[in-house]
Amino acid sequence: MSEVLLEAVALSRRFGGLLAVDSVDLSVHAGSIHGLIGPNGAGKTTLLNLIAAALPVSAGALRFRGEDITRWSPARRARAGIRRTFQNLKLFPEMTALQNAAIGLHAGTRCGIFAALARPPRQRREEREIAAAACRALEFVGLAAQQDAVAATLPYGHRRLLEIARAIVAQPALLLLDEPAAGLNQTEAASLSGLIRRIRERGTTLVLVEHHMDVVMTVCDTITVLNYGRKLAQGTPLEIQQSPEVVEAYLGHGDELPAEGARAVA
Amino acid sequence: MSAADLADLFAGGLAIGCVYSLVALGFAMIIRATGIIHFAQGELLMLGSMGALSALWLLPKMPAVLVLACGMIASGLLAVAMEFLVYRPLRLRRVPLMNVITATVGMSILCINAARIIWGSEPLRYPELFSSSAYGFFGVRVSPQLVWIMVFGVVLMGLMQLFLKYTRTGLVMQAVAQDPEVAQLMGANLSRMMVYTFAIAGMMAGAAGVMFGSLFFSFFEMGFVIGIKGFVAATLGGLGSLGGAMLGGILFGLIETFSAVYVSSAYKDGIGMVLLIAILLLLPSGLVGLWRRRS
Amino acid sequence: MSAAAPALAAPLSRAHKVATTLILAALVALPLSGPHQFILHMLSLVAISSIVALGLQLLLGFSGQLSIGQAAFYGIGAYASGLFATKLGMPFPAAFVLAGLVAALTSLLMVPITRLTGAYLAVATLGFSILVYLLIKNEEWLTGGSFGLMGIPRPSLFGFVLTKPGHAYLLCVAVAAIVYFALLRLEHSRFGRAINAIRQNEDAARASGLPVTLLKSQCFVIAAFVAGLGGSLYAHQVRYLAPTDFTFWKSVEILIMVVIGGMGSLFGAVLGAAVVVLLPELLREVGDYRMLVFGAILMAVMLFGESGIAGFLSQCLKFFSKR
Repeated sequence: MSEVLLEAVALSRRFGGLLAVDSVDLSVHAGSIHGLIGPNGAGKTTLLNLIAAALPVSAGALRFRGEDITRWSPARRARAGIRRTFQNLKLFPEMTALQNAAIGLHAGTRCGIFAALARPPRQRREEREIAAAACRALEFVGLAAQQDAVAATLPYGHRRLLEIARAIVAQPALLLLDEPAAGLNQTEAASLSGLIRRIRERGTTLVLVEHHMDVVMTVCDTITVLNYGRKLAQGTPLEIQQSPEVVEAYLGHGDELPAEGARAVA
Repeated sequence: MSAADLADLFAGGLAIGCVYSLVALGFAMIIRATGIIHFAQGELLMLGSMGALSALWLLPKMPAVLVLACGMIASGLLAVAMEFLVYRPLRLRRVPLMNVITATVGMSILCINAARIIWGSEPLRYPELFSSSAYGFFGVRVSPQLVWIMVFGVVLMGLMQLFLKYTRTGLVMQAVAQDPEVAQLMGANLSRMMVYTFAIAGMMAGAAGVMFGSLFFSFFEMGFVIGIKGFVAATLGGLGSLGGAMLGGILFGLIETFSAVYVSSAYKDGIGMVLLIAILLLLPSGLVGLWRRRS
Repeated sequence: MSAAAPALAAPLSRAHKVATTLILAALVALPLSGPHQFILHMLSLVAISSIVALGLQLLLGFSGQLSIGQAAFYGIGAYASGLFATKLGMPFPAAFVLAGLVAALTSLLMVPITRLTGAYLAVATLGFSILVYLLIKNEEWLTGGSFGLMGIPRPSLFGFVLTKPGHAYLLCVAVAAIVYFALLRLEHSRFGRAINAIRQNEDAARASGLPVTLLKSQCFVIAAFVAGLGGSLYAHQVRYLAPTDFTFWKSVEILIMVVIGGMGSLFGAVLGAAVVVLLPELLREVGDYRMLVFGAILMAVMLFGESGIAGFLSQCLKFFSKR
């Protein structure tokens, strides 16, 4: 059993009177692809935001590689190796695809303002390395041809891929994907599944929140199901599909645990 | 300091507090409805003040209430004009927020300089609107001007609250402020509600302008500093909360008046600035936010 | 996949380099044609204003922080330099650099404010600017208050006093050029891309590991330093300072320069400065209506696209280069 990379202990998030995430325990093992599913409003995205530090924790603790990161800022977590994509795409619209991807590497660099002004050889070398790494990331997700395209002009599917490229360019230990398949058609979704597997092969652990059951069931090793902010079930895809509680949680809300091809309405 | 002086100070603080409350209300309403910090809010106050004064020059015997009405109408109309000619096109073009804010700064500059050209740069005195003999309250004599300002202020704010809570339009406005998209789905005419919001915010500012003018004087730059102070008051109470705006205004009026005497009068305006920065940094959700957290 | 190595930034176009060199050469050669003293004075003021506007461009155009309080640092730099020269007898170069440093140090007070966004940041900078103005106006023992600070000496370099307006003009142009090229370098560096990323999407920047607050603060400090340098030049140019030179309206003027010139364009900041300083002189009749017109222009630019004059010019260039 591989080490536990990320551990959430009794994690809770309260919005006024509403407990969006209720005392959730989560263990993400290194090298795994961990899915987070649940009916609408179950708290999946909130949980993801807690892990990414987009929201502060109301109670509980978060540990990464054994270290307590509960109070860490988003930037600090990013520098430590936790990267994320956003459900509603947050790209840098005026920059090219290459520049977007390159931002993901900024945190690891050392040169600041004075180096920017003086341009010593070390700075110039770093720039070349960053450009090369960003280029490789774009190739990895399949956007090599769009390298110099301005992000705002890219079609939706490519923009999704660009977000992923930016998130993986620094070879993060943990990648959080927030509904990466949203808005993708069948072919694109299948392609995404392949991409996710290749990212894992490179050594990144993944946690993904997703409604697209095809993607979830084919790609994930473990799935955690949330309902009303609580952890309902956890297991392999097969176990989850056969779990009566999970089926009821979905059916009971008028959603179905869809057959292949369908996608739960967001 | 004698009890009479203290009472005077207190009354003065309350009166100016009412002025700030009205301005703060305008800020709060516009922020709730549009997310914009309306930099030109102070200019609405100024233009109402000057407009009412001009009306008073034409008809010197006008009773105070009518003067107030003139100011309110003038500012209300101007606010609607601003919304229609500038802010609406900006909203429709989905211009980034920074640009909208810059546009309100531009509007502010336009108004101030237009006023300077129309009315000149000298401060203008308001003729006596109220009788000069002081009223007696519990054995303490208070200037009638202060009393009337407080009365008008409270009445106006009360009327506005009633309007928002008990009239159909008011309720729709509240819905739009809370969630514009859903309100639209429910049939609210977003554009019209925006116009009403600006109209009311403008009228509040106009009333405040008349009050301030009658207390001190009117001049073309008056809106600038009062506007900022109104914003401080709104932030103190809790931006986005109407009750907070009213509370913040009164409180800030008192703080400022007493600080001017006990701390320093040269830095009177500075007190507001320090308070503003302190609140923005330490207590961004204002007093209302603090109260909500405690409950 | 392109055969050449991927590049993060396009190198500056040939046209850009040529244009800049020509303009700079023309500016430097100007005094040789013996223009009237007044023209040199006005152009010096344009150069000085450009410096402050360039700083704001970094802050607003690049990192997206709307600061309407730059006049505070301009004033701090001006008074610091003036006081260093008059009260402490410091030579100009020292007073000049120190003025910038004092302004930069003061801006560190603003660091907590960089946490704020949008209009809240703007109002906070405004409040700060008003505080500084009040300090300048009230602390007579230091600044001379409303009576002003008088008798500021002319700038001097290593004992050589720049008495000729042409020399002072060249000094201002030189400083402006240095600031321009330094900021140009920053713009096309990793730092520049980072702060641009913050402007375009702060959440994404944070999630990518950028130290957002640090970068934003750095922008403030640089802008303040630059404004302070401009203030120092101003002090030694007009040689008399009054608090009324550094009110909110000055901050607004600087904002107008950046907006009219074109947000995000360094060259635009310079153009904007030229327009704002020179237009009232060129159109004497407009004089009184100056700010009125500027207010209207501000709104118009916001309505019709924020590329300002610089944007318009580059559109023209593109149009002509296609033919």
